[in-house]
Amino acid sequence: MYPVWQVPVMGSALVIAFIASFHILPSHLATSAFWFNVYVENKAYKENRPELLEFIKKYVLVLLIFSFIFGSLSGVGIWYALTVAAPKGISALIHNYVWGWAAEWVFFIIEVLAIYVYYYTFGRVDNKTHLTIGLIYAIGSWISMAIITGIMSFMLSPGKWLTTGAFFDGFFNPTYLPQLLMRTSFMFAVAGLYAIVVAGTLKRKEVASFIIRRASVWGMLGAVLTALFFRVYLWSLPAPARELYGMSILIPKIVPVIVVAAFAALLAWFMVVWLRPRWAKAVPGVLAILILLVGVFSAESIRERIRKPYVIGGYMYSNQIVPAGLPAKGIQGDLATIDSVGILHYSPFVPAGLRTIDTADLLKAGGEIAQIECSACHTLEPNGWLRPLPTMVRMAGLSSVDNAQAFIGFLDAFPFMPRFAGTAAEKKALAAYLVSLYRK
Amino acid sequence: MDISQMLKSLQDPMGVPFYPFVFQVLLVLTFALHIIFVNLVIGGVFMSVYGYFKKGNYYRALSKAFAKASTINFSLLIVLGVAPLLFMQVIYDPFWYTANVLSAAWMVGIVFVLMAAFSFAYVFYMKLYKDRKHIGVWGVAAFLLILLVGVTMHAVSYQALFPEQWVNWYVGGSKADLSGTILHAFQLPRFLHFIVASFAITGIFMMLYAWYFKERDDMDKSYLAWVGKTGAKMAVTFTVLQMVVGVWWLLSLPSGFQFYRNPVFLTAGVLVVLLLLVLIEAQSNPQKYALPAAGLALIGVLGMTSAREALRMLYVGRYNYSVYTYKLNLSYGSTALFAVTFLMGIVIVSYLLSVVFKMGRSSKPLDLSSLRLRTWSVYLMIAWILIMIGIGVAIAS
Repeated sequence: MYPVWQVPVMGSALVIAFIASFHILPSHLATSAFWFNVYVENKAYKENRPELLEFIKKYVLVLLIFSFIFGSLSGVGIWYALTVAAPKGISALIHNYVWGWAAEWVFFIIEVLAIYVYYYTFGRVDNKTHLTIGLIYAIGSWISMAIITGIMSFMLSPGKWLTTGAFFDGFFNPTYLPQLLMRTSFMFAVAGLYAIVVAGTLKRKEVASFIIRRASVWGMLGAVLTALFFRVYLWSLPAPARELYGMSILIPKIVPVIVVAAFAALLAWFMVVWLRPRWAKAVPGVLAILILLVGVFSAESIRERIRKPYVIGGYMYSNQIVPAGLPAKGIQGDLATIDSVGILHYSPFVPAGLRTIDTADLLKAGGEIAQIECSACHTLEPNGWLRPLPTMVRMAGLSSVDNAQAFIGFLDAFPFMPRFAGTAAEKKALAAYLVSLYRK
Repeated sequence: MDISQMLKSLQDPMGVPFYPFVFQVLLVLTFALHIIFVNLVIGGVFMSVYGYFKKGNYYRALSKAFAKASTINFSLLIVLGVAPLLFMQVIYDPFWYTANVLSAAWMVGIVFVLMAAFSFAYVFYMKLYKDRKHIGVWGVAAFLLILLVGVTMHAVSYQALFPEQWVNWYVGGSKADLSGTILHAFQLPRFLHFIVASFAITGIFMMLYAWYFKERDDMDKSYLAWVGKTGAKMAVTFTVLQMVVGVWWLLSLPSGFQFYRNPVFLTAGVLVVLLLLVLIEAQSNPQKYALPAAGLALIGVLGMTSAREALRMLYVGRYNYSVYTYKLNLSYGSTALFAVTFLMGIVIVSYLLSVVFKMGRSSKPLDLSSLRLRTWSVYLMIAWILIMIGIGVAIAS
C-alpha cells in the first residue's frame, strides 16, 4: 500500500473529478473540431468560397489555445491527480495498458505537430496538402480517443480479462463499442457548439449564418445519436452496474434528470440558432457550453458510481485493495493477508506507534484505518463534500461500538461497498472511531 | 519493514508486459527528447523577455521569434513529457508513486501553474506581435512559473531516491503529514545542471535558426549572422559553465558510487568535450557549424540522460532494487501494437516535418501535393483502424 493523500473537506476523489470533467470539453473539441473544419475547408475550395476560410482560421486558433493549453494539461492533470489519489489503481492500469498508452502517445505527437503545421501553413502550401494535414489531425485525434475509451471502459467492465488477463480481452470489453460510439457522436455536438460560438463573432454575417446553420445540424445529429448510444450503453452494462444504476441511495434521481435536462437544453439551443442564426451571440453560446459541462459532469459521475465498489471492475476496490487477485497473471489478492496480519501492519506508511492495536490509542488507530480504507470515497470531516463519514454513521445509527462492529462486518451487503479488510482488533478500532464520529 | 522488502511489496503484481530493458531504453530516449524541449522553453522564454527589455531592432526581432517558437515548444514539451512519465511508472513505480504522494499538492498544483505559465507566454507572444507596451510582466511571470515547475519536478524526482526517508517524511513525529504540501529534498547542483544546460541548448537553437533561414531571400542576412554569433557565444559560455556545475554536482554525489569512473558517465563527458570543441571552432562561422553542433548536442543530451539512468540504478541498487528482476507477464500482442504504431508514427511525423521544413524555407507559397508520404500518412492511419477493428471482431466472436 502507498501513502494516502488526504485532501481536507473536498476529498481527493473530487480533485480528480473536477479536473477530469473539465478535460472533457477541450478533449472532445480536440477530437471533433477538425472533422467540421476539414468539411468547411473542403467546401471553401470546391465551391470557391474563400470567405469561409476566415472562420477556419478563427476556429483553429480557439482550438489551439483551448485544447492545446488547457486540454492537454488537464489531461496530464487527471493522470497526476490519479497518481497521488489512487497510486495503486493507476499503477495497475499502467502495468496492464502501458503499450496502449504508449500507442496513444504516438497519436498525441502526431496531433500536436499536425495542428501547428496546419495553422502555420495556411495559404503557404497548396490546398491538397493543407487538407491532408487537417485530415491527419482529424483521424489521429479520433484514434487517440478510441484508445483511451478502451482503457476507461475496461475499468467499468473488464469482461473476459478477469479470466484471461489478456490486453485485448480487456480493451474490447462489453461497454467499449457503445461508449466509443457515444463519445464519437458527442464530439460532433461539442464541435457544433464551439463552431457556433466562434461563427457568432465573425464580421461577415452571411458567412456566420452559413456556418451556424451547418454547425447546428452537426450538433443536432451528434446530440440525437449521443442519446441513442447512451441507451445502448446502458443496455450493455454488466448486471451489477445496472443494479447500482437503479439505486437511488447511490445515484440520486436528480442526477439522470440533470443529464437529460442539459441534453434537452442543448438540443433546443441547436434548433434555435438553426432557425435564427443571428441569435448565436457569445453569451448564450458560452452559457450553452456551461450547461453542457454540468450535464457531462453528471453523466461521468454516474459512470464512476456504477463501478463501485471497484476502481477496476472486479479486480481492485476503490480503496485500492485487491480482494481476489488474478490467477491468469499470477496475482494473489491482498484480503487474506490483510485479514491475518492487519491493515496497519500491511501498509508501510503507518506511524510505528499505531501498528499494534493492543498498545495503541484505539481511536487514533481507527482513524488511521479509516484514512486507508475509507477516505478514497468518504471525507472524514463532518463538513466534507464527499459522502462524509459522520453523516453516514448517523444515517446508519451507529451509536455503540458493538453496533458499529456488526455493521462493518456486513459492509459488503451493500452492493456498492467493499468488504472490510483487517483483523478483529482493527475492526473494533474502526468501530470505536466511527462511533466517535456519531457524537461529533 | 526492511526497505528492500518494502520496495518489492510496492511493485505492481501485474508485472511488466515486456522485458524491462526495453522500457528503460524508451525511458531514457523519450526523457532526452522531453528535456531538450524543457531546455528550449526555459531558454527561449528567457531570451524573448531579455530581447524585449534590450533595445535595438535585432533584439526585438529575436524576442518575437522566440516568443512564437516558445509557444510551440511548450506544447511539444508537454506531449513529449507524457512518454517518460509513463515508462518511469512501469519500472520504477514504488519510487515514483511514493515520492509523488509525499508532495501530492505540489504535483497537482504544477498542472495549474503550467496552465498559467503557458497562458502568460501566449499572452506575451500575442501582445508582442501587436507591439503593445509594458508587457514584460507577462513574460517574466511565465519564466518564473516555469522555473517553479522545474523546482517541483526536480524535488519529487530527487526524493524518490531516498526510500529510507519516506516513512519519516510521511509520518515523522506523532502526527502524519497527509497533505502533501511539503517538498522534502532538493539538490542545488543537480537542479542547476538542468537550468544552465537550457541556455547552452538555446544557443545552439539560435545557430540552427541562423542556418535554416539563410536560404530565405526575404530575411535580413546581417540579422541572421548576428543571431548565429550571439547563439554560438551563448552556447560556448554556458557549456563551460555547465561543466563547472557538473563537477560541483559530481562532488556532491555519495562517494561510494565513484560515479566519475562510471563508463556511461565518462562517455557522456567525452561527448560534451567534443561539443565544446565544435562550439569553439564554430565561433567564426556559426551557420556552417550549426548542424554538427546540434547533432553532437543531441547525442550529448542522450549521453547525459543515460548517465542519469546509470546513476539512478546506483541509488536504487542501495536497496537491492533492480528493474531487471521485475516480474514478467509477457504480452506480445500489445507490444506489437505499440511497435507498429511507433513505426507508423515515424512515417507521419517525417511527413509533417518535411512539409514544415520546406515551407519555412520558402518565402512564396509551395505546391507540396506530390510528396509521396502525403497519401501514405492517411492510408497508414486507416490501415491502423482496420487492423484494430479486425482484432476487435476476432475478440468478440
